[in-house]
Amino acid sequence: MTGPAIRVAGLVRDFPKVRALDHLTFDVPAGIVFGFLGPNGAGKTTVIRVLLGLVDPTEGRTEVFGMDPSTRGNDVRLRAGALLEHNGVYERLTAWQNLDFFGRAWHIPRATRTARVRELLTQFGLWDRRDETVGTWSRGMKQKLAVARAVLHRPPLVFLDEPTAGLDPVASASLRDDLARLAGQEGVTIFLTTHNLAEAERLCALVGVIRRGRLLDLGTPSALRSARGAPVVRIAGHGLTDQVVEALATVAGVGSVAREGDALVLRLADGADVPAIVAWLVDAGVGIEEVRRDRASFEDVFLDLVADESRDVPGAGPSGGGP
Amino acid sequence: MIRDVWIVARKEWLEIFDQLLRFKRGGWSILLIIGFLGVISPLQMGTSWLTSPLMFFYWPLLTTSMTSTLIADAIAGERERHTLETLLATRLSDTAIILGKILAAVMYGAAFAATNLLIGWVVVNLKYGTGELLGIPLARLAALFALIGAGSFFISGIGVFVSLRAATVRQAQQTFGVIILLLMMTPVLFVQFVAPDLQSTLLAHAARLGIDTLSFRVSGGLGLLAMVLNLAAIRRFKRGKLTLD
Repeated sequence: MTGPAIRVAGLVRDFPKVRALDHLTFDVPAGIVFGFLGPNGAGKTTVIRVLLGLVDPTEGRTEVFGMDPSTRGNDVRLRAGALLEHNGVYERLTAWQNLDFFGRAWHIPRATRTARVRELLTQFGLWDRRDETVGTWSRGMKQKLAVARAVLHRPPLVFLDEPTAGLDPVASASLRDDLARLAGQEGVTIFLTTHNLAEAERLCALVGVIRRGRLLDLGTPSALRSARGAPVVRIAGHGLTDQVVEALATVAGVGSVAREGDALVLRLADGADVPAIVAWLVDAGVGIEEVRRDRASFEDVFLDLVADESRDVPGAGPSGGGP
Repeated sequence: MIRDVWIVARKEWLEIFDQLLRFKRGGWSILLIIGFLGVISPLQMGTSWLTSPLMFFYWPLLTTSMTSTLIADAIAGERERHTLETLLATRLSDTAIILGKILAAVMYGAAFAATNLLIGWVVVNLKYGTGELLGIPLARLAALFALIGAGSFFISGIGVFVSLRAATVRQAQQTFGVIILLLMMTPVLFVQFVAPDLQSTLLAHAARLGIDTLSFRVSGGLGLLAMVLNLAAIRRFKRGKLTLD
């Protein structure tokens, strides 16, 4: 597949009292897992709705596999699967009937449909309960069924809005593996929104961070961490009293100090002199046992990004590092 | 397109039958209605149950009321249960979705009437049969089902409009109830303003036509109105608007 799977250029979507999307511009290459991150109400779901042709943009241009969803919505939806904000399962139908209905809707031939439904129900551990009405199921099970529905017709593009919400850790890990396999082996493009930053970092080849409808940054998770994450030093030892910690925060080059178990985590300013900081601690009577340089976690980077009001301006530059 | 309409209608039916088979939300009441209309009423009326012109009033009325409960749930129910957006995100066209729901509702009404008539016919024959099979004249049966079909189709058109605007099933059903009441009361009120001479002329004309022909003509008029209503409903059923509502 050539060219990006998704192209968004200057996308604006206004609602009566609010601008939900504000000049968004980004591309999603085909065959990767793209993470779209942002706090609640940032505009993630609206972007998915626009890309699926469910909502027209106010301004700007969007393309999915080279097609404009606002004029060729049916063609786009033909090539896309979606798990939206709500799982959308029919609670009065059984698991089998749910998938069978959508299989019919996608015009999957009977034999293929039956085999595919069986394969997915087995893969998601739902086979034994296929004849139960879904209304009696737990949230996690419904979520699994919804994911199965999204990939049922083997679409080249899948939109997943919080797919692991409600899943237990084992099911989440299993789903992550499935998504990685879909992108890696089958070339499916996955557009994923999640609040689970560890999941995004592990799974996504490219992430975009959005807040109040504006794209704050775009890049690989590691590029974002390198560009935005301040260096961190973890120091373990004895004698790390509250007075020492308080005084340490005022030392040159130390941005912030936080306790993490028995150790201290120092976020450093640019050009901080770590040996000098360690020497200061030794002078303060601390017995140093371990000093380890690290980078800020992806979560720290994300929180910094969305908390930084100054970045809330159009044209904030991306960190790059696309795949 | 026809295939897609059928796919949606089939899904609607599966949902209804789950309710009926599990006796949830109306399952019991439908059994009671069938028991009354299909068993008790024929037992009381005897052979006249098969030929009475009264059937042209209560069957269409009952079937349209059955249709109305389903169609009120059509869009408002999907919205309330958070399944509408997922349905809209499929390759099914707007027209296929709405026509599938209308078809399911109309067929539900017709199936309800057919089931009752069949049970009633068996009951009458078992209780009052004299060796020969008693039946409803074919022309009458056709006229009856024409009226039932047109009435259900007409009610579905109104129901789609109501359902499109309602946030919940309850709200849709309440609004729909008021509309049906108005529809039923309007002719009764209107008759009072028709001059007695004209009333007599109209009644004489209806008597000349006979109940079957009259039923066909009323069905034709209702069918035309229903078509206009349903076409307008299709035009109004737009993904973008529904997603944001």
